[in-house]
Amino acid sequence: MFRNHLARETDSPYQGGVFSLNINFPTDYPFKPPKVSFTTKIYHPNINTNGSICLDILRAQWSPALTISKVLLSICSLLTDPNPDDPLVPEIARIYKTDRARYNKLALEWTRKYAAGDGGN
Amino acid sequence: MAENPDNKIDEEIERLTGMVRDEAILAQQDRIQKEVEDSNALVSERLPLLILKEEYQSDPIYSKKIEDMNASFPYIRKTRGDGNCFFRAFGFAYMEKLLSDKAELHRFKEIIEKSKDTLISLGCPSFTLMDFHDTFMEVVNQLEEKPSLSELVATYCDQGMSDYLVVYLRLLTSLELQKEAEFYQNFVEGNRTVKEFCSQEVEPMYKESDHIHIIALTSYLGVGVRVVYLDRGENQKVNHHDFPEGMPPQIALLYRPGHYDVLYGD
Repeated sequence: MFRNHLARETDSPYQGGVFSLNINFPTDYPFKPPKVSFTTKIYHPNINTNGSICLDILRAQWSPALTISKVLLSICSLLTDPNPDDPLVPEIARIYKTDRARYNKLALEWTRKYAAGDGGN
Repeated sequence: MAENPDNKIDEEIERLTGMVRDEAILAQQDRIQKEVEDSNALVSERLPLLILKEEYQSDPIYSKKIEDMNASFPYIRKTRGDGNCFFRAFGFAYMEKLLSDKAELHRFKEIIEKSKDTLISLGCPSFTLMDFHDTFMEVVNQLEEKPSLSELVATYCDQGMSDYLVVYLRLLTSLELQKEAEFYQNFVEGNRTVKEFCSQEVEPMYKESDHIHIIALTSYLGVGVRVVYLDRGENQKVNHHDFPEGMPPQIALLYRPGHYDVLYGD
C-alpha cells in the first residue's frame, strides 16, 4: 500500500486542493485492478465518504496493460468531469445536475476545509 | 430520490455486507471465481471425449451429439471456465501444435516480434506492454527448444505465467480490431467505437470472447481454427465453423454455450 498525492491545477472547485489516495495492490495484480481510495474527504458524486471511487477502469474495465499513472490521470479527469449518471452519492449527483452553482460552492468549501495541503492531511 | 427503489437496494446491500453495491458485487465475483479455481485446473490433461457424456447423462440431445463428435474428435483437453477460456484454449492448442512445426513457429515468432511496436503505436503504454511481450516471447522461444508436452501443460497451469499469456493474446486481439477498425466497427454492438469495445470487452481479463474476438485473433495471427458447437439445437449432428473463414484449420476447439475447450482428432 502506498499513498499518493494528487495536486489539482485545472479550473475546478478542487483546484489547489491536495488529495491523498491509498493505492492497494492485490496479490493477483495486474490481472485484478489496484484498490484506490481517497483518504482526503472530497465532495464528488462518484466518490463516497469512505473514499471509494466509482471509476470504470478500477472495476470491470481494468486492463492489465494500464499503468498507475494512467489511473491517476483518469481520476483527475473524473474530478474535472464527474459522471452524475452513474453516481456513488446520488444526492451530490442530483445537486450537480440541478444546481451547478451550489455544487461548485460546496465542493470548493470541502476542498478548502479538508484538502488545503498545508499539512492538514 | 428517496422513492428510488435502487437506493433502497443500495441501503440493504450496505446493511448486509458493510460494502457499497459495486464493492459487494466485486466481492461476490471474487468468491465465485475462487470456487471455480478450486474445482478446475487452468488446463487439464488430454482426456477421452466420451467423459463428457457423464455430464449430460439425462440429456439425449447432448449424448447423441457427443457420440457424433467422437467420430472426428475422440479427445478433449478442458480449460477453466474463468472468462479467459477461449484465449487459454487457443494459446495452448496452437503452442502444442508449434512443438512439432518449426516453420510455423518461425512465422509466429516474426508476427509476435512485430506486434510490440504496433501496439505501442496504438497507444498501449510501453512500460507495461514490454513486460507482457517479453514474457510471451520467452515462452515462444522456449518452444524452439522443444519442451515436453507436460512442460507446456505446467506453463499453462501456472496461474501467473498462464495469465500473462492470456493478456498478450487479448492485446493482439485488440490490436487487430483497432488496426482494421473500419471493418470490425460493423460487428460492434451497442453504439460503441471499436476502441471502446476493446477497452470494455477485449483487454480486461475474465471477459468472455465472442465471434468478433475469435475472428480478430485468428486473422491477425493467420491461424485457422475449427470451432465445433455442442448446443441444444435439434439436429443430431454437431455443427462447426472455421475461423477466419476459408482458412484450413490447424487446431480445433469445442464450444459449449459460454465455454471453450481444446479438441483433438488423433
